[in-house]
Amino acid sequence: MASQFESPEQFRAIIDRVMTLMSEDPQMGPQLRDADVPQRLEFDDLDLVVNARAARAGEDGNLHWEWTDDVDWEPKVKMTMSSEVANRYFQGKENVPVAIARRRIKAGGDVGSALALIPITKPVWGLYRSMLEADYPQLVV
Amino acid sequence: MDDKDDLNADSEEAGGETLAAAEAAERAGVSTSTLRRWVALGLFPKNETSHGWGPSAIAQARSLAKLRDRGYSIEQLQDATAEGRLVGYTDEMVAEMVGERFTVKEAAKESGLKPDVIEELIAAIGLPSGALDDLGAEDVEMFRHFSTAVESGFPRDALLQLMRVYGQAVSKVADAEVRLVHLHVHEPLLREGVASDEIAEQMDGITDELLPLFSPVIDHLHRRFLNHFVEQDVVGHMESEPGGEIGQVRVAIAFADLAGYTQLTEEVGDEEAAGIVERFVANVNQTLPDEARILKTIGDEVMIVSADAASLTDWAVGFQILSDERPLPRIGIHCGNVVFRDGDYFGREVNLAARVAARAAAGEVLVTWPVVEMAGKHLEFERIGEVQLKGFSHATELFLSGQAGGR
Repeated sequence: MASQFESPEQFRAIIDRVMTLMSEDPQMGPQLRDADVPQRLEFDDLDLVVNARAARAGEDGNLHWEWTDDVDWEPKVKMTMSSEVANRYFQGKENVPVAIARRRIKAGGDVGSALALIPITKPVWGLYRSMLEADYPQLVV
Repeated sequence: MDDKDDLNADSEEAGGETLAAAEAAERAGVSTSTLRRWVALGLFPKNETSHGWGPSAIAQARSLAKLRDRGYSIEQLQDATAEGRLVGYTDEMVAEMVGERFTVKEAAKESGLKPDVIEELIAAIGLPSGALDDLGAEDVEMFRHFSTAVESGFPRDALLQLMRVYGQAVSKVADAEVRLVHLHVHEPLLREGVASDEIAEQMDGITDELLPLFSPVIDHLHRRFLNHFVEQDVVGHMESEPGGEIGQVRVAIAFADLAGYTQLTEEVGDEEAAGIVERFVANVNQTLPDEARILKTIGDEVMIVSADAASLTDWAVGFQILSDERPLPRIGIHCGNVVFRDGDYFGREVNLAARVAARAAAGEVLVTWPVVEMAGKHLEFERIGEVQLKGFSHATELFLSGQAGGR
C-alpha cells in the first residue's frame, strides 16, 4: 500500500516534530525521560528506522532520537509498522494491542515497557492532530 | 436540657472563642452533667477543655453526642479518642439539610407522585429509610423530574432501574471521596501529630470547599460518557441483527484476572499486591478498544463488555503479548444474549464467560465457539475440547486463541 506521505523525507520531518512535541511537553517529556525505555521504531514501507531514548545529562530536551540503527545504545522495545499505522497511532486511531494482534504493529523486546508507555504518550494524540490540521490536513484520519 | 452547671466555673466567653460549660452543653445538645462525665472519662484530648470550651471542643462534643445516638458505647468512644481516631472530625463537616421539610404525603402532593412511588424511589436509590422522614426541597424537585419522565412515557420500571444505578454509582463516588480523604489526608495528619484544631481546620476545608468542586466534574463526565454510549448504541443498531428477546442485548463478555494472585499476596503482602492489581486494571482500561469498557472490578478480576467480539478478542490476544511480567493475566471471552438490568449484565452467558476465564491458565485467552465464529482470520484457535464447566449441565467447547502462525 502506498504511503499517505509525499516522501520519506516528509514523514521523517513530521515524526521529528512529533518527537519534539513529546520531548518538550511539560507533562510527557519528563515522564518519558523517567520511564527511560529506549525504543527502535521501524517504518517498513518507507525503509526508515528511528532509535529513541531518554536524554542524557547535557543533552537538550527530555528525549534524544537518531534516524539510524548505528547508535551506541540498545533498544529495549522494538516496533515495526507502516507509516500509515504510525500516522493513525499518533492520532489515537490505532489501538496498540488490537494492532499487535492484527500484525499491523510487530512488537519485540521488553514489550511490557511498551504497555507502560501507552498512557504516557496519549496526550500527543491531540497535539499531533492539531499539527496535521494546521500543516498537513490530508493526513488527518 | 437539665443540670447545666459549669464545668469550668471561671471560664467566660473570651472574644467569642471559648464558652462556659453550660452554654457548651447546650450547643452540643447534651446536659452539663453528661459533658462533665465525658470529660472525666477522657473523651476529649488533654487540655482541650481546661481553659473553657472552644469551637473544636464543642464540635467534638456534638460528634460524640451523634455517635452515642448511633449506639456507640462509651468504651468504644474512649478507645477512639485515646487512639486519636476522632481528631479532626466535626459534625459541621456534614452539611445539614436546610430549608423547608416535607413529609412523604406533602412531597407526593408537591411532585405529583404517589406516596408509595416515592417510597419505592427512595429504596431504589438506596438512601436509608430514615430519609423518608426528612425530605427537603431538592428531594421534592427530584421527585418532580421523575414524575415528568413517567408522564412523558418513560417506563416506570426502567426509571427505577436508572435510579438504582444512579444511587449505586453516586454513593460509590461519595464513599471513595471520604475514604481517600481519610487515607491520604486525615491519617497522615494524625500520624504526624498535627494539633487537633489544625486537623479540624484542614478537614473542614476539604469537605466544605474542595470536594464540592468535583460536582461539576461529575456532571461533565456524565455528559462525556453519555455521548460515548449514545454513539456506541447507534453503531450497535447499525450492526445488530434483529431477533433477540426484549430486555436482552447481545454482547461479548470478557473476564480477566491475574493468575496466582492469592499466592502473590502471600509473597509480597497486601499493599504491593494491591498496587500490582491497580496497574493491571489501569493497563486494561488504557488499552481497551473504544467499543469495550470495564463494567466492574472485583479484587483482581475485571469484567469487560463490548458490542464487538472480534475486536475484544484481538485486544485480549494483543494484551497478552504485551503482558510479559508476572503475574500474567488470564482472559476468558464468550458472547451471547444477556439480560441488562440496573446497569449490569446478568444471565447464563455471563456466568459462562466467568467460568471460561476460570479455566484459562496464565497468559492464555480462552474463548467459546460463538467468539471463534466472529473473530478475524489473523487469529487462530486451537480447539481444547469439550469441557464440563462448573455449574453447567452441558459441556462447552473451548478454544485457545492466538495470532495465526504464532508470534
